[in-house]
Amino acid sequence: MRVVIAEDNALLREGLVLLLTSAGHEVVAAVVTGPEVLPAILEHRPEIAVLDVRLPPGLRDEGLRAALDARRKIPGQPVLVLSQYVEETYAAELLRGGAAGVGYLLKDRVGRVDEFLDALERVADGGTALDPEVVTELLTRRRDDPLESLTPREREVLKLMAEGRDNSTIARTLVVTERAVSKHIGNVFLKLGLPPSDSGHRRVLAVLAYLNHT
Amino acid sequence: MREAIDNALRGTYRLTVAAGLALGSYVFLALVPLAVVLTGTVIGAGTLPETVLVLRHLAGFKRRQAAEWSGVEIPEAYLPLTGRLGERVRTALTDPQTWRDLRWLVLHLGYGLGLFIAALVVWPFALLVDGAWSGLLGQRPVLLPQLDRLTDLDAAWSRALLTPGPGRSAELAERIAALTATRADAIAAHGAELRRIERDLHDGAQARLVALSMRVGLARRQFDRDPEGARSLLDAAQDQAEQALAELRQVVRAIYPPILSDRGLVGAVRALAASSGLTVAVEVDGLAGPDDPRPPAAIEAAGYFVVAEALTNAARHSGANRAAVHLSRVPRGLRIVVRDSGRGGAHEAGGSGLLGIRRRVAALDGAMTMTSPVGGPTTIEVDLPCVW
Repeated sequence: MRVVIAEDNALLREGLVLLLTSAGHEVVAAVVTGPEVLPAILEHRPEIAVLDVRLPPGLRDEGLRAALDARRKIPGQPVLVLSQYVEETYAAELLRGGAAGVGYLLKDRVGRVDEFLDALERVADGGTALDPEVVTELLTRRRDDPLESLTPREREVLKLMAEGRDNSTIARTLVVTERAVSKHIGNVFLKLGLPPSDSGHRRVLAVLAYLNHT
Repeated sequence: MREAIDNALRGTYRLTVAAGLALGSYVFLALVPLAVVLTGTVIGAGTLPETVLVLRHLAGFKRRQAAEWSGVEIPEAYLPLTGRLGERVRTALTDPQTWRDLRWLVLHLGYGLGLFIAALVVWPFALLVDGAWSGLLGQRPVLLPQLDRLTDLDAAWSRALLTPGPGRSAELAERIAALTATRADAIAAHGAELRRIERDLHDGAQARLVALSMRVGLARRQFDRDPEGARSLLDAAQDQAEQALAELRQVVRAIYPPILSDRGLVGAVRALAASSGLTVAVEVDGLAGPDDPRPPAAIEAAGYFVVAEALTNAARHSGANRAAVHLSRVPRGLRIVVRDSGRGGAHEAGGSGLLGIRRRVAALDGAMTMTSPVGGPTTIEVDLPCVW
């Protein structure tokens, strides 16, 4: 895949280039500051852009803003946003324009190389990758409610769905059959009163919308 | 006899000055209503602080006169008349010394003139009596020294009326005591915070990094003999690294939440509101937009933790499902009001984080009040003084 990356820390930038190159991807541009991001994306039209939230000159949320700008200019442009910490608010802003081709992960996750590359490809293909920490946050803050009626296994399935995993990945992660996963998902949707939905990003949105609604 | 007359003349001279001052005060007092009326109109508002300044000069003159006569200094304590016009008018009116001075001025019209007239009446008698008694009979003068008593009275009354009220110095002393205490608290809190951060890093991230490094080292040794064992050591090492990162994130959040530096207080509070699990209305008055100057970091951080704690308590303990947060920039600093729709009855002693919040606010010389009647609602109001 052709990738544009934006990361101001030289160590991490080189690490990312090395990691992506060794996985057979091509880094067509590696920029350092926020204002450079959009021109680089418009010029190279990468299959995915990997952006750090905090970029010079302000070291605030320039990377996030660049990601939103890019998706406004090029609808559906896959972006994977990385950060030292995750904020629900940022996740919500990223997902506002649709969950297709959106990734938001802690930088820590890059260390799990296989999982990171998997998420990268998922997002490039129009899927979603949401950091488990965001999802956990969403799950723990609901106090009422139908969530209580879920079995522990169903909660795990819900969590993985919200992170953007597909059925086969969920089955592998939980070491169960895909049939079992489908059954759990059916139960979850039934208990939460959600309309059944296919396994794509629409499902992620439905689950997140439910978790976000208080 | 000669000496007694000189002494009496000096005293009477003071009384003459006092009478002159009283007459001048009549003119001044006649002008005061004019100043008050002019203050009512917008253009004339400046006359009020000026009038108060004249009053201060009159009182100051009397203080010096009385001090010179009696040898006892009369302290002076005024609030400074500075700042914008509205502020000067407010200070002029709220300074208790303004009203004390005014009271003196009115009473002085009476006793300043009265003592002078009394002296004028006594003089002929004194000259006659003491002229005969002392001048002819060689005795000590009797009546002439009494003229000085009149001046003594003037000085004593003036001192009683013009000495700043005990309220003022008590107020200042109280303020100094409060500042000393909060400053000591702030230093203690800062020290405790540094120790906590040091301990968190030492026991947490640092220890994990040491363990991680050991595991990587072991994996290197084992790599050739036992690749499978090395792999599991590397797995464990990666776990350690991730946990170290998670702990570092927590430490950083507790020091200064990153979203505060990204988005400022308003953005960070909106994020808190969105993730609180309650329906929270956030209202903002006169606070920095994205490009305006921001409050100092310490104020923003304190404000953030106030709102975070208040919303956490509302969600956990109050049974509320709604809350309102109001952030406003006021002349003296930042004001935060958090109100929930819960059942009330919250206590600071109830193990909540409210005590910590009160300390944090007090360390910045701020004030926190909580009203939480049983049955609700709970309202927390915090004022953080600062200029930005």
